[in-house]
Amino acid sequence: MSPLDTAGLPAPRPLGAWASLTRLTRSAGFRFALLFAAIFVAAALGFSAVLWWGTAGALDRQTDAAVRADALALVERWREAGPAALAEAIEERIASDFENHSLYLLVGPSGRRIAGNLDRWPTAADSPGAWSNETVVREGNRAEARLHDVDLASGYRLLVGRDIDEKLRLRDLIAEGLLWSIGAAGAFAIAGAWLLRHALESRLRPAYATAAQIAEGDLSHRVPLSGRGDEFDRLGDSMNDMLDRIDRLMEGVRGVSDAIAHDLRTPIARARAKLEDALASAPDEAALRAAVEQGIADLDGITRVFQALLRIAEAEAGARRAAFAPLDLAALLADAAELYGAAAEARGQTLETALPPRLDIAGDRDLLLQAVANLLDNAVKFAPAGGTVRLAARPWLRGAEITVEDDGPGLSPADRARAGERFFRADTARTTPGSGLGLSLVQAVAHLHGGELALADAKPGADPPGLKVILRIGHA
Amino acid sequence: MAVLALSAGAQGGNDTSARVITDTAEYCGTLATRLAALPGSHREPALSLANDGMRLCGNGHIRTGVAKLRRALRAAQAQAQ
Repeated sequence: MSPLDTAGLPAPRPLGAWASLTRLTRSAGFRFALLFAAIFVAAALGFSAVLWWGTAGALDRQTDAAVRADALALVERWREAGPAALAEAIEERIASDFENHSLYLLVGPSGRRIAGNLDRWPTAADSPGAWSNETVVREGNRAEARLHDVDLASGYRLLVGRDIDEKLRLRDLIAEGLLWSIGAAGAFAIAGAWLLRHALESRLRPAYATAAQIAEGDLSHRVPLSGRGDEFDRLGDSMNDMLDRIDRLMEGVRGVSDAIAHDLRTPIARARAKLEDALASAPDEAALRAAVEQGIADLDGITRVFQALLRIAEAEAGARRAAFAPLDLAALLADAAELYGAAAEARGQTLETALPPRLDIAGDRDLLLQAVANLLDNAVKFAPAGGTVRLAARPWLRGAEITVEDDGPGLSPADRARAGERFFRADTARTTPGSGLGLSLVQAVAHLHGGELALADAKPGADPPGLKVILRIGHA
Repeated sequence: MAVLALSAGAQGGNDTSARVITDTAEYCGTLATRLAALPGSHREPALSLANDGMRLCGNGHIRTGVAKLRRALRAAQAQAQ
């Protein structure tokens, strides 16, 4: 028995660090939280990538576009008016360069510098049409430059570029800012994940706590609901419904055990007494033999009662609903009628049937046969000698309606209400043999098949009114 | 601008790196020559801009001097149009 903490829950056993870690990774709450965090961080990275493309990326694209346009314009000048005009155009551009970012270099066929603000050709920028990033020196300091090598005819080469040092620093600033924000996103992700896991756990705790208490043996507990009607409340609701049903079933079992103990004690005691008596005072072997045979018959009777009780319990538990199969009810009723036709004949009674040629339903064949047999048994038993028993059936909703009528004494309305109880026997039946279980089985079978049992006078106003038993079985 | 220039990169250059030659006092002179060729250079605001520029270049503030002279050039060109 584990020690209980103040909440009435079993206190958790202390775990080692590794065991704690593996338990954490198996937790669904942790995995949800991890998923949330991963999505959050992925989204943050996505935003950052887009932002980067829109800012630093845009800066790069801007620079290249400016250089390209500049180079095209200069090439046009060269084509129109030759190297001298190109040189002048370059000097003009340099003189008007307020931002002080433009870089130009024009060299002649021998590598001689003709115009521009660079003193030599950068070593790496060596293939015509190529773009490169170079380091240039400005006032003794190094600076990054983006350069475009333009090939002109006749051995002249033109280099057009921009000083991108400032842009690079801006880019670094943006990168730093993005890294900080990704860090913040990570922190938010962890915090959010922790909160999510905490929220999940706290919403699940009532269900878990109630289940733990019930596992300890106290079935009176129910899951407390938050009243929000959300998914967790629905889970709690289902659990409570399940627990109510278990409660009812256990009540049923207790009731049956009580009834068995109470009502079978007498027949068992009686059978035993008879055998004891025979043992003590039988005059001869024949009498002893007869007493033994009577004992066997008594025990068979008790066995039948046990079996009937079990079937009722099974039917009420709904366990046999899974074994439903399609069957032809008309054929089943015809079989039952044949079975009891002989019994009726023996008492001079007539067994009439009014059955359709075919009646297809889904259900438990054994239980239905047993139920109908019980009804016919009662009818034949209570109808007077020479009387009539009538068995009829017809379709009803998605199932069928079975009617058994007799012209016996019938049941008063008060008795009708109690007819479905186990071991109930009406006063008028005191003299007829029976355990009182027949109608309770019929009722259980009716409920199992989604239907109902109803009792009425066969001939209202007549004397005796007879009994009409209506067994309706709907869809399963 | 001057602060940026001081903080940018390491001092001194690699021998193979290209050098920008318009950040020098010589270029101040080049700009002044170009300016003198324009008719509008003797009028305001080009004149005072040019004087400021040359003074700055003379005091060692090359970048600001060059910037002033470039502005003087633009002012003179605008006057001419």
